[in-house]
Amino acid sequence: MQGATLQALSTTSVADALKYFAGVQIKDYGGLGGLKTINVRSLGAQHVGIYLDGIRITNAQNGTVDLGKFSLSSMESVSLYNANKLSACQSANEYASGATVYMRTRRPTKDSLDVQLRVASFSTYMAKANVQFNHNGWCGFIDGEWTKSRGNYPFRYHTEFEDTTGRRANSDIRYGRIEAALFHGGFASHVYYYDSNRGCPGGIVRRLSDKYINVGREWDHDFFLQASYHKVFADQHNVKLNSKYTNERLRYCTDYPENQNTARVNNHYRQDDIYASLCYAFTRWDWLSLSSSYDYRWTRLKADLKKFDDVIRRDQKQVFALQANYLGLQAAASILHQHYHDDTFANVGAANPLDRWTPSFSLAYSLDNLTLRTWYKKIFRAPTLNDLYYTQVGNRNLKPEYTKQLNIGAEYHFASSRFAASVQADIYQNKIENRIVCLPLKGTYTWTMMNYGYTFCRGLNATAKGQYALHDDWQLSLISSLTLQRDVNRSDPDDEDTYDKPICYSPRLSTNLTGIIAWRSLQLTTSYIYVGERMWSYADPEDILRPYHNVDTKLTYNHRIDKVSAGLCLEICDLFDEQYEHLPRYPMPGRNYKLTFVFGI
Amino acid sequence: MKSSLLLLLCLLSAVSFAQERLIILNEGTWQADNGRVTYFEDGEIVSNQWFREKNGFKIGDTPNDIIMVNPDLIAIAVNWSNIVQFMTPDGTAVTATEDIPNNRKLCSDGRYVYVTSYAHECETTKGLKSFERGFVAKIDVESFSVIDATEVGYEPEGIALYKGHLFVANTGGYAFEEGHDHETTVSILDAESMEVVNTIDTHQINLFGKMSQSGRFLCINSPGDYYEVPAACIILDCDEALDGNLTGCFTRLDYAATYNCTMTDGRFMAIGSRFSFYTNEYTFDYNIIDPEKVMLSHGEDGIEAINIGSVLPDLMSMSSPYGIYVNPYSGFIYATDAGAFAAAGELYQWSPDGTLLGRHKVYINPAHFLALPPSSTDNIRNISGADNLSDGYAYDLLGRRLTKPSGIFIRNGRLNVLQTTINH
Repeated sequence: MQGATLQALSTTSVADALKYFAGVQIKDYGGLGGLKTINVRSLGAQHVGIYLDGIRITNAQNGTVDLGKFSLSSMESVSLYNANKLSACQSANEYASGATVYMRTRRPTKDSLDVQLRVASFSTYMAKANVQFNHNGWCGFIDGEWTKSRGNYPFRYHTEFEDTTGRRANSDIRYGRIEAALFHGGFASHVYYYDSNRGCPGGIVRRLSDKYINVGREWDHDFFLQASYHKVFADQHNVKLNSKYTNERLRYCTDYPENQNTARVNNHYRQDDIYASLCYAFTRWDWLSLSSSYDYRWTRLKADLKKFDDVIRRDQKQVFALQANYLGLQAAASILHQHYHDDTFANVGAANPLDRWTPSFSLAYSLDNLTLRTWYKKIFRAPTLNDLYYTQVGNRNLKPEYTKQLNIGAEYHFASSRFAASVQADIYQNKIENRIVCLPLKGTYTWTMMNYGYTFCRGLNATAKGQYALHDDWQLSLISSLTLQRDVNRSDPDDEDTYDKPICYSPRLSTNLTGIIAWRSLQLTTSYIYVGERMWSYADPEDILRPYHNVDTKLTYNHRIDKVSAGLCLEICDLFDEQYEHLPRYPMPGRNYKLTFVFGI
Repeated sequence: MKSSLLLLLCLLSAVSFAQERLIILNEGTWQADNGRVTYFEDGEIVSNQWFREKNGFKIGDTPNDIIMVNPDLIAIAVNWSNIVQFMTPDGTAVTATEDIPNNRKLCSDGRYVYVTSYAHECETTKGLKSFERGFVAKIDVESFSVIDATEVGYEPEGIALYKGHLFVANTGGYAFEEGHDHETTVSILDAESMEVVNTIDTHQINLFGKMSQSGRFLCINSPGDYYEVPAACIILDCDEALDGNLTGCFTRLDYAATYNCTMTDGRFMAIGSRFSFYTNEYTFDYNIIDPEKVMLSHGEDGIEAINIGSVLPDLMSMSSPYGIYVNPYSGFIYATDAGAFAAAGELYQWSPDGTLLGRHKVYINPAHFLALPPSSTDNIRNISGADNLSDGYAYDLLGRRLTKPSGIFIRNGRLNVLQTTINH
């Protein structure tokens, strides 16, 4: 998805943009501050790697990235790859996730200043500024944002056994984000800082009053600095260097008088992460390229938990890949080696080192505008540091969780002077083995991480896009996607209640359709999302999340005089005020409004 | 007179009325507001959503304990909803109080309900009371208001009433999250004054889970800390404790009693496992504990493996045992299997001799039981041919089925005294 489309959609963060992709399931705890993660083709959030300019955003603690923390304002594009992306010189990390979300930063082409001011429902205020420059081959930007929201949105549960109305409590957030990037030829760098303070609301349960709420609050301070350099020597030696330092601090506190339901927790977590990679590709011939990369990552997790001590993880990856192109036939193969080694002073001891090789293959054939493709990828996710070492939950004997994916697809492009269209469809089969899940220890009162479960998934993803320029003033575009999927639990053949039953939270059908109409400097975008019924437990056929339809609409007007532009944007999300949930008892906000003023020179 | 007594006894023993009546609390999934109440009668699940069907609203999130207060009243501690829910034995909600947040376990003398709580404040008729540690609250079931609350140890769990005194097991269960350590104590309170009169130090940490009571004896589980300290079980003699013998009133057993209950013969049945995060290994225990023998022998004697029919192999075949119970009126044995946890759990029923009678689908995390007395005299009908209709079981004079009959009891329409049959 490219810049113009990203801006046209009703989006505040990367998470909002990704829900328009085929095969994506969003998990959202609701509100601006609610954790937002994505799951692709039922692989699980931890199999989705999020990359910024080719460098992975990591969280060694829990393996998931909160997409609400990343803004779209500085993005050139956001893309989702299920197979490995094919480009000449890639780091080993880029081969190491089940599905891959690439965020590409925009390289500015001119000097500019843009300011946005927004007021939105539930006492939400936002201010954003972006300065760009381009001089003597150097370009870059500084982008800053400050947002505050009370997030006290209304919700209603109306069923046979309840009629609960209320306003979400403890759902407020305040965050600031500042980031800057600098580019020069093959050199790219990015620095990022995010600071937030938010409430963590719980599920809506029966209470007689609002006297006690389960107040928990979270503070995040995320910082990273990354730089990469890419150079081609003698037309055939591609060399790329990547480096990154990340520091993430998190504080979680529940020590408030309104919270009488949990322990009075005040924990601090700190992660430091140093990453470097060296990639080399040999592209002597037109039809063949060979590449290799070595990646090294050092991560340290500190936490003031009892029975816990610093954990240090050393993660090394090597990849050997080849790509061949001959008369429209494209073949690629790669083999990835991963080695994990943990050290800890905690009494439970460190997990055994993990050493695995995994392959991937792809084959494509293009004829004119039609491309046929097939690919296979086997990959695992290593247990996270929380999975292995978290006090009273971690299990250092965990095995990696494997995914095996097979895909067959086709893509067709068409373009004329006024009309452009593309259609693509893929059918796929995934197997996930040794799922890492939290289960109760038999005959005790505690839970622990275990390898349990096997998922088998078959599905179809389809996307169609069309663009039509009516005459010079009018532009129409249509984007649609569809996911039809059947994923089943194949964990325990003796358990007739769960075996071959659908995976919880996974819809059979989800689809979306977005239309954009632009007339001169006026633009109207309307998008419709449908997500089918999802079950959330096997215990009762009533334990389902109802299907939902979500319509968002956005009207933008921009006026330009010479170099100065000013505009207004009105967004209405969930136009028909449909009450829905991604997780039971975590209501989503319902209809809400955003009014944004934009000014640029 | 003699003949009319005979007639009455015949009627009591021979009429067919609801004999096995059981309420089961399904804890549900945490924060999903799907706690459910199951009602089971004479071998059949009447409903797995009994409370909501009877009342049109849900019980709440994580029901954690259920007791009979008096013949007309039942109390349920709904932990994550901060509610103590009262209902009649036919499932009709009476009232609920939220003045005891984070409530855990219950006991009652028929007039007052005593509730343990991990929280730090309690609204009472004497005003708001605040505590650093946990507390025990006292609810008057005439006004349903909290009339007093007293601080005990951190995170108090099981509670039992004996001779006007409350025995409260303290866990310190938040030790991994908070600054304090695990507790090792049992607090003794005067139930009337609600004052702590003594504290027993068992030297065993984390006295967590439901506690069972058999006359003067208590069976208290300790899961340990899952690291250095393994699970154990404390047998406590309340009389000894009330006599002031605080060091000799208990015996520590090296067995897990994660789920425990009292049998009709006064012994305890206890199952559970000992687990350590260091070794990642389990040891399973399935025991019947005779508290008197255990106390006399300091734990050397009085423990045997469960040897009632197929109960032991059936328990061992479960994927996740989640509760055991013996119906005090009939001796029928029950256990639940939580299974896959996101799926419906199962209720197992055995006859008193350990014959598996059936397995029944309940709901997520079925954990807590309460037997109702067999529905009684209002069901008496005039019948003839009493001998043919008799079920062969022994009954006491209130019409309750007995497993180990002693004293005066009725069987096959005949009155029995101390094993000697009297022919009228």
